[in-house]
Amino acid sequence: MTNTALATFLAHSVELEAEARERYEELADAMSAHHNEAVSQFFQRMAREAEQHLAEVADLAKDMELPQLKAWEFNWPEAEPPETTSYEAMHYRMSLRQAISLALENERAAERFYRGMAGSSDDTDTARIAGQFADEELAHAAQLQRLLEELPENGANLREEDDEPHMPE
Amino acid sequence: MIESVRLKAKDYKSGVKPIWCPGCGHFSVFNAITKAMAALAISKDDTVMVSGIGCSSRLPAYVDSYGFHGVHGRGLAIAQGLKVARPDLTVLAMGGDGDGFSIGGNHFIHACRRNVNMTYIAMDNEVYGMTKGQASPTTPIDWDHSKLTPHGPGVRPFKPAALALAAGAPWIARAYSGNPNQMAKLIAAAIEFPGFSFLHVMSQCITFCPEQTDWKSIVHEREEPALEDADEAARLFLHEDGFQTGLLYGEQRATWPPAGAAAIEDGALGQLASGFRV
Repeated sequence: MTNTALATFLAHSVELEAEARERYEELADAMSAHHNEAVSQFFQRMAREAEQHLAEVADLAKDMELPQLKAWEFNWPEAEPPETTSYEAMHYRMSLRQAISLALENERAAERFYRGMAGSSDDTDTARIAGQFADEELAHAAQLQRLLEELPENGANLREEDDEPHMPE
Repeated sequence: MIESVRLKAKDYKSGVKPIWCPGCGHFSVFNAITKAMAALAISKDDTVMVSGIGCSSRLPAYVDSYGFHGVHGRGLAIAQGLKVARPDLTVLAMGGDGDGFSIGGNHFIHACRRNVNMTYIAMDNEVYGMTKGQASPTTPIDWDHSKLTPHGPGVRPFKPAALALAAGAPWIARAYSGNPNQMAKLIAAAIEFPGFSFLHVMSQCITFCPEQTDWKSIVHEREEPALEDADEAARLFLHEDGFQTGLLYGEQRATWPPAGAAAIEDGALGQLASGFRV
């Protein structure tokens, strides 16, 4: 018999990781198109990590029939899945520091989401797996925190060597 | 036997990479369109995206469907002609605030009153972004970022929803690029509405209007059901703050062309097209 709570939870996890991967890929391409290669490469790396997490979740769900939810039928704490970078947080002049900080916020949001599920689900399997995912997100956040601390300087969020938006008239 | 496979939103992307600025709200509209198409399981072969000119009008290239990147302000004229000639197709027109309310303003109001069964998505960032940041018909009266209007445009901006209502649009909704999932739901509803559906999207231009990042804290979702009475909708659109999202107004009305109108005869389109062959 299908565990409905677990199937619904895993459908959310798949969507969370898939959206994170697609958004990072999209942002990496956009940053590359605007010659911000350092940030583009960082987002590519984040997309690859999201891809790995997606594969892990998909593997867990491989013998289950997950509910086919429309984009607006998922139940997220905010407008978009917790690990998805908001468009309005982007800027073509953003620094690597700013990009890592955003990714760090994403990982922390995902950890909060999973921790909340672990604490609130009545289903023991769902609670256990959600707790495991929360721990993984916490570990990713710690990695990004270290990366942030290893950056050579505390520079401005926007890259000062780049041009202001060109308004010619 | 060919087994149909349920497509995901990503499958509706053409693979052409958008060149919009990072942070542009149009990415969100693009994603919402593909999510709506996936949710409705729309056939790519029976869907057409038509646009005018501007940053937002690049969108048809990014969707894996048929597309027509038209001339400035004329996306709606092309889209209506297409839908009348091929009523079996799902037709979406799209463009920006300059394309839709200035250069194409006349087409917009007549599309609203004509009520052809199609969807129009206006991606409003209150600025001409492609030409590097000039005031558009929806720019705030005191926006002074451009040297062309150093003290602001000095004229009141259009209220697109009010304009659409006054011109006769039967379905009016508003979305915000910070909430692509709600937008996808509205686009799906717009496509399913039997008539001209107008979706006004607040789609931020992070490059020329960085203050639009504040929209996130101002936008609020409408909790009440959509209004069905035009008088009530008029009061709403004239007095609201303009940041309310959701389906705002919906009323069934006869579409154009009327059901009894003569269908286009077989061969007539080919005959017409032959006149344009070089």
